[in-house]
Parts: sequence; C-alpha cells; structure tokens
Amino acid sequence: MVVLSWLFVLMLVCFAVAPSLIAPRNPVALDILHRLQPPSFAHLFGTDEGGRDVFSRVVYGTRYSLGISAAIVLSAAVFGVVYGALSGVGPRWLDEILMRIVDIFFGFPALVLALAVAAALGRGLTSVAVALSLIWWPGIARLVRGEVQRIRERPHVEAARAIGVSPTSLIWRHILPFVMQEVNVRVTTDIGYALVAVTALSFLGLGAQSPTPEWGLLIRDSQDYFGSAWWYLVFPGVMIMATTAACSIIGDSLASHRESGVAP
Amino acid sequence: MLQIRDLSVSFGRRRAVDGVSFDVEEGEFFLVIGESGSGKSLTGGAILGLNPSGSTRTGSIRFKGREMLELPERELRHLRGDQIGIVYQNPLSAMNPVIRVGDQIAESIIVHGKGSGRAAATRAIELLERVHIPDPARVAQAFPHEISGGMRQRAMIAMALACGPSLLIADEPTTALDVTIKAQILELFAELRRERSLTIILITHDMGVVTQLADRVLVMYAGKVAEVGPVETIMNQPAHPYTKALMLSGAMSDAPFKSVLQVIPGSAPTLDARPLGCRFNPRCAYAQDDCRATMPSLRPIAGSLAACHHPLVGFRHSELVA
Amino acid sequence: MTPLLELEDVTKVFGGRRAGATVRAVDGVTLRVGRGETLGVAGESGCGKSTLARLALRLMDATDGVVRFDGQDVTHLSSLGLLPVRRRMQAVFQDPLASFNARETVRRIMREPFNVHSLSPSGGIDAKIEELLTSVGLSATDLDKRPDEFSGGQLQRIAIARALAVEPELMIGDEPTSALDPSIQAQIINVLLSIQRDRNVAFLIISHDLDVLGHIADRLAIMYLGVVVETGPGPALMAGPLHPYTQALLSAAPTPRARRNQQWKRVLLPGDPPSPAHVPAGCRFHPRCPIVQPDCRTTVPVLRAVGPDGTQVACHYAPEETQTQGRAIAAARLGHDGDPPPTISPGQHGVLASGDRI
Repeated sequence: MVVLSWLFVLMLVCFAVAPSLIAPRNPVALDILHRLQPPSFAHLFGTDEGGRDVFSRVVYGTRYSLGISAAIVLSAAVFGVVYGALSGVGPRWLDEILMRIVDIFFGFPALVLALAVAAALGRGLTSVAVALSLIWWPGIARLVRGEVQRIRERPHVEAARAIGVSPTSLIWRHILPFVMQEVNVRVTTDIGYALVAVTALSFLGLGAQSPTPEWGLLIRDSQDYFGSAWWYLVFPGVMIMATTAACSIIGDSLASHRESGVAP
Repeated sequence: MLQIRDLSVSFGRRRAVDGVSFDVEEGEFFLVIGESGSGKSLTGGAILGLNPSGSTRTGSIRFKGREMLELPERELRHLRGDQIGIVYQNPLSAMNPVIRVGDQIAESIIVHGKGSGRAAATRAIELLERVHIPDPARVAQAFPHEISGGMRQRAMIAMALACGPSLLIADEPTTALDVTIKAQILELFAELRRERSLTIILITHDMGVVTQLADRVLVMYAGKVAEVGPVETIMNQPAHPYTKALMLSGAMSDAPFKSVLQVIPGSAPTLDARPLGCRFNPRCAYAQDDCRATMPSLRPIAGSLAACHHPLVGFRHSELVA
Repeated sequence: MTPLLELEDVTKVFGGRRAGATVRAVDGVTLRVGRGETLGVAGESGCGKSTLARLALRLMDATDGVVRFDGQDVTHLSSLGLLPVRRRMQAVFQDPLASFNARETVRRIMREPFNVHSLSPSGGIDAKIEELLTSVGLSATDLDKRPDEFSGGQLQRIAIARALAVEPELMIGDEPTSALDPSIQAQIINVLLSIQRDRNVAFLIISHDLDVLGHIADRLAIMYLGVVVETGPGPALMAGPLHPYTQALLSAAPTPRARRNQQWKRVLLPGDPPSPAHVPAGCRFHPRCPIVQPDCRTTVPVLRAVGPDGTQVACHYAPEETQTQGRAIAAARLGHDGDPPPTISPGQHGVLASGDRI
C-alpha cells in the first residue's frame, strides 16, 4: 500500500510538473462535436460538455489542486514551526500571548473563516491559498510548541545544556530535528486534507474560475450532467479521494518509521 | 512440575533463546539470572505462552505433564492466572489504570470461575491483607496510580495469587523499587514460599536476590544456559567462569575501598554478533582454542550442570574477596 | 582552601503559588566537594538527590540558597556567564542512550564540547577524541556509528569521555551506573576510579546504590525527603552508620554472602517513603523510625557534628543510642562473623529475624 501510495504521488508530481507531456489533448480547447463522450481509448476519462478531454483536464488540474494544497500546507508549516518554536522555548509570557492568539483562530469554525476571507479577497485560487494558509498554521504551531516542550525535557537536551551548548544551538541541533519528524508526518497528511479544502472552496465557486481545469471546479461543472455523463464527476472525485488516501498512508508510514531516539 | 527441553525463541533466524533445558520441582524456589539480552525474560514469557509478536517458539515445555507449546490459546489463557500466576516488573503498566485495585483482583477470580460478585470482592480484600497491605478495604477501592509503588507491587502479587496458582512466575519484581521497599517485597516472597506449596520462578539480574531466596539457580548468558545448580554450589563453587564473574560483581562491598574491581571485560554480545564456539569466550579469562571452536554442552560438574569446556574446579568463595 | 563546589542552604520548591500545592524537593541542603575528592549522595526515590544534582549543575534554578563554584557565586549567572563554569564542571547521566542526541554520530557527539568551548587541542580534535575514548577503555571506536549501535556500557564510557573533553575539575554523576548490568557497573566504577587517579577530578556522585558509593566515595551524604540526615567520611559511615535511616538503607542491601547467612537479621522499615508533598512534622523520618520517641514527632533534629572526623547526623538520639546498632548492622551486612545485632525496642517495628512475619 505504501509503495503504491508513493507511486501514485510520484505520478501526480509528474502530472503537475509536465502536464503537456502526459495529457493527450489541450485541456481547454473546445470540441463541441465530441461533447459528453463516455470513456474510450481516445478519451480515457471521457469528455465534458465542451468536448474537452476529462483526462487531460485532470492532468493539468493537478498543478492547480495539488500544487495549491502543497503550497498552503508548506507555507503554514514554515510559519507554524517558527511560531511554535518561539512559543515553546520563549519566556512564559510570550508563550501565553502566542498561544492565546492560536486559541482565537481555533475559536472560529475553520472553513467558515476561510470562506469569509476568500470572499473578502475576491474569487480566485490566490485568495483560496491565502485564506487556507491563514487557517492552517495554528494547528501546526500548536503541534510544534507541544513537541518542543516535550523534547526539551529529554535527557539528551539536559546533557547538552550541562556541556554548555548555547540556547540557539540547543534548538537547532537537539530539539528541532526531532520536532521536524512530527512536522513531516503532519505536513504529509495535511496536504491531503488541504486538497479537500481547496477543491471544496472551488466547488463553492470561490476558487478557480472556468475554464481552469481545477479538480473541484470540474466536479462543480459536472453536476449538471451527472445523470447522463457519470465519468465527468466520478474521475475527478476518485482522484481527490485517492490523493487524500495516499497522503494519509504515507503520513502513517512516516509516523511508524521515524527514529524517535528514545521512547517517549 | 515443569520440564523444559531445548526451548528456543526465535525472531526470524535469530535465536534469542537458544536450546534452553531445565526442570523445576514442585515447591521449589527457582531463580533465573542473567544480564540484559540473556533471554531470561523471553524464557519466562515462553512458559506462559506470552512472547512478543514476530517470535516463534520451538522445543518442549511440559507443565504438570501437559505440553504447553501444543495447547490452544484458549486453554493457555485459562492456565494463566488459574494455575500460573504472573508478577511483572512494572505493576503500573501491568494493571489497568481505570479499574479499582480490588475489582481487578476480583475480576480474575470471576473469570476463572472461582467465585462471583460479592464473594470475589471479599476474597480480593483477603488477598490484599495476605500480602500485608495495611487497610486492605481502602486500597481495594483505590485506583492503581493512587497507591505507592511498593503497594502496587504487593497488589500485583495478590492478583497473581487470586486463583490459588501452583506456579508463580515473577519477572524482575523488585527492580523498579527502592532499596527499603525491595527488602519488604523480598521478605514477602520468602514468606509465600514458606507458607504454601507454591512453586516460584523468579527472573532477575540482581545477585542479591539469588542468594537470599533461591533453592536452585539457572544462569543464562546470550540465550544459553551457562550453569544450573543449587544456590550453595552456584555461590561457593561456580563451575562456569561467567557465574564466578557474576558473583564477583555482586560482592563489591567485599573489595577494599577504592580498589580496582575485578570485572568481566567487554559486554554481552548482541543477537546479531554472537561469537563462534562458547558464547562467553571473548570475555572469558580461561578461554582456549576449543572454546572458540565448539559450543560446550551442559554437563555435570561438581554439584551443578555447566556448559563449559574448562570449568573452574576448587574455586572457593574466599577467592571472591579480591 | 576554598571548596570546588559549595551548596549552601540550597532549597528547591516545585509547584504553583497556591499554598499546599508546593513540593520542597530539596530543603536547605549544605554540601561541599573539595578538589580531587568524591562526595557520594545516597537516598531513595523522592529524596531530592537528582534535583540536587541539577541545582549543582545549574540546570535548574535554586529557589533559595547559594551555589558556589571555586568560591564564585554562580547561583544567578546567565547561560553565557555560566559557560566558563560549565567548562570546569561536567555531567554524566543515568541513561546513556537517552542522554545522547540519537540522530547524531558519535563523532559529532564527541566534537560538541570542543565546539561549544572553542577548544582546539594540539594535534586536532579527532586525535584528541581518540585519545579520550582510549582513556576510558574504548579504543578503535567507529565514530561514524550512532548511539543505538553501542551497548549501555560503551555509551556510558563515551559519555564519560565527552565529559573529560574539556578537562573538567568536577564531574557530577546522576546515577551513572544504575541503568547498567551488574558486570558493566563494575567496569564503569573502575573507569571513574582511574580518571580520578590520573586527572585528580573531583566527583559528586548521586546514587541509590550504597555498594557503589561505599566503594568510591571519600565522603557520603544520606538524604531523606529533601534533607541530609547524615554525612561523614565514606568508609567510617559505611562501617558505623549513626542515623536509623542510614542503618536501614545499609541493612536492606547486604552482600550476597550475608543474605545467605541464616543468622542474619535486618532492619525492615515499615511503609513507604512519604511523598515530599506531605513532609511529616518533627523528624521527617519518624513515622518509619524503629527507635522513634515522642519528641521526634515534634522537634526537628538539626544536622550536628558528632565526631572529630566531620561526621554529622540529624537525629536526637545519635550517636549515643545508635552507635552499637550501627556497627552491628554494618558488620552483619558484610556477612562478618560476630555478634548478631542487638534487638532494640521491641514492638511492631524494629529488628526482624528472617523468619518473622512482616
């Protein structure tokens, strides 16, 4: 399963990096004569209402859907790690302030907050990315802060302090590498969840706009034809599901393989 | 009562316990001693049919004439607790943290059909009293984390005794305890042994425990039996150089202040790096060529069984005082 | 001459500002370690000995009292100000595997003290590392391995070698042998003895194991519930413990030979050590003491000198009423022939023959 997941993700990365080499057709070119064709060798995933090749649209869409998801989670991780580490090693008053701010973010229903932000910024993938990054970092910050505080109590950190290792070096060499193991696991799984969020916002009409081949938008557009052209809805949906599952599986395997050093 | 022949516990091709044989007589206080990685705990676990996942057992374990390795899990489960009691090193992790102490003891009585409801609860309090827990009725109502480490270990012993087992297996029961508490628990074991026809197998790395309580001692090294025999012989006339070295390490107080202690050089081999021939040979002061070539088998030497090509003869305890 | 390390009336309180929720883990302890000397601190879990080690190492801040190193008050030094002190004072901990960064190679681990203190030994750091490892009995070590590829004994040697890198004058060991197998413990003790002989390093060794401390400690301090109850020259204290608690500790861990002796009797303490959150009034040891008297429940005994050799004991009835018992226990513990220890006050506490019920 793990190997399969890695292969799937590798495939997605190829899709995102070089869609033109893989997609057999132009994803936006209309071909009204062949509209709503069922899957065939010519059109693996069938065609949509404009006669566009769904497979090609899915391949090109990877860059938008998965790329934005990864960007959201990675930027949230960078900010979250710095924020969480500051909170974890800083003085108590700083920790208090930083964590109260995180609490405020947690107080709002995340997706509603993202909706509001995205709506305020206007439609488009950029505003989706900004909105989701904004709701994503507090979770990672809280994780990092907890991990930092846990690792900080480990004997090897105490031993390093006894040698005279400076506070910055303590964090960089003796605490963060262990924290990053957890962050890696979290980031991997979160990319899957972020994908769901991105496609959901697009589905609601806030994200990508036609004719961008974003997966959520594909599903939105396909709704009207579900009765007659199941493939139009099913294939992008399966892609979202499979990507989320692959991220989860890879995250779990990272979690069980991380070298924890000592038992917690 | 217990007859173990050629018992091996393997992880894949690696044999953590490698062809161990010994007998335990009815009513005997039998000690298994060895350092970490010697396979002593795996041996104890094998008797109970409790071995880590990924391991396989071969050989024969006969308990009261029944072959344990062939018993189905259902019957093994019945045997555990009913006929064989277990005491672990860390009672806090061995007990269920959200069930009251008394209820845990009662549960094992009920599960094995030795009483029900109120009778079991009353019996639980009696058992706690038997292991000298002051105010047993109150402790029975407490959760495991609410009582001290010494009390927990006593409660654990009470639980092991709940169904009146004939064999008690204790794996490092005193290792996690403070010195003064350890002394109390050892005294409890000594008393249990005096009072009832209970056979006890105690697994430890602590030499002090050996000499105080045991009738016979099994010394394990790197998955093999090094020596087995009566405690007097093991202490005063060990045949195996490893046994002697272990005895020396327990006699630190006999060495003059700040003197260099006699030590076994090196450390025990890991599972992957066991030497050819006698497994102790790289650390043995008496090793010769045949020790490096062939594995010695267990044979009778002056009152004990030892697996050594060149057993120590005439070694006396007085030599222990360096 | 100024002592190398001096703890004066040091106190550490844990817990919140709420009254009653605080724990005085260390409660007014005064100790000194002289140059080249070994001070052993013994006691059971919860007695505050590990906290004491952390206070001395300035890994924790004392709530009250003064920590001096070579005459200098280091109680409130910042981490930068502590750097020169850390160079002269190193530590070895109980669990050697956990006390290394598991992600680093031994080479990186061993280089750290040189980097931290900007040391560049003549001949290069790597040559020095090899020399250090050889001096603790680890020649030809593969420096590119990670900690989990070594045995516990090897790791503890590496920990000692790392501590020696900065040529410290004091090494503080918190249970340095407790996590090791008995045969390996003796090896580590030999290493400690040899580096003290060769380098004149002073040791502060914290341990629950009186066998170990009795063998290496020039002076011993026995702690119970955050306070020192007895201190004095190691061999003298082991041969004639004066405080009833010290006697019980010694009696609880006799040599194998003494244990086998059927005549052997020992002091069996009733109950558990109370939690430091609920310190008994009067003498802290009185609920478990075999010779407790009414005034023990009310008056706190102070640590007072009782001999010319520097022995101090905090017991109202020492040494007059404990001396004979102490000597007998010490002798019986070693399995020496002689009179069995006399029975003290009869009753539920006191001396038990090995056949008595608890």
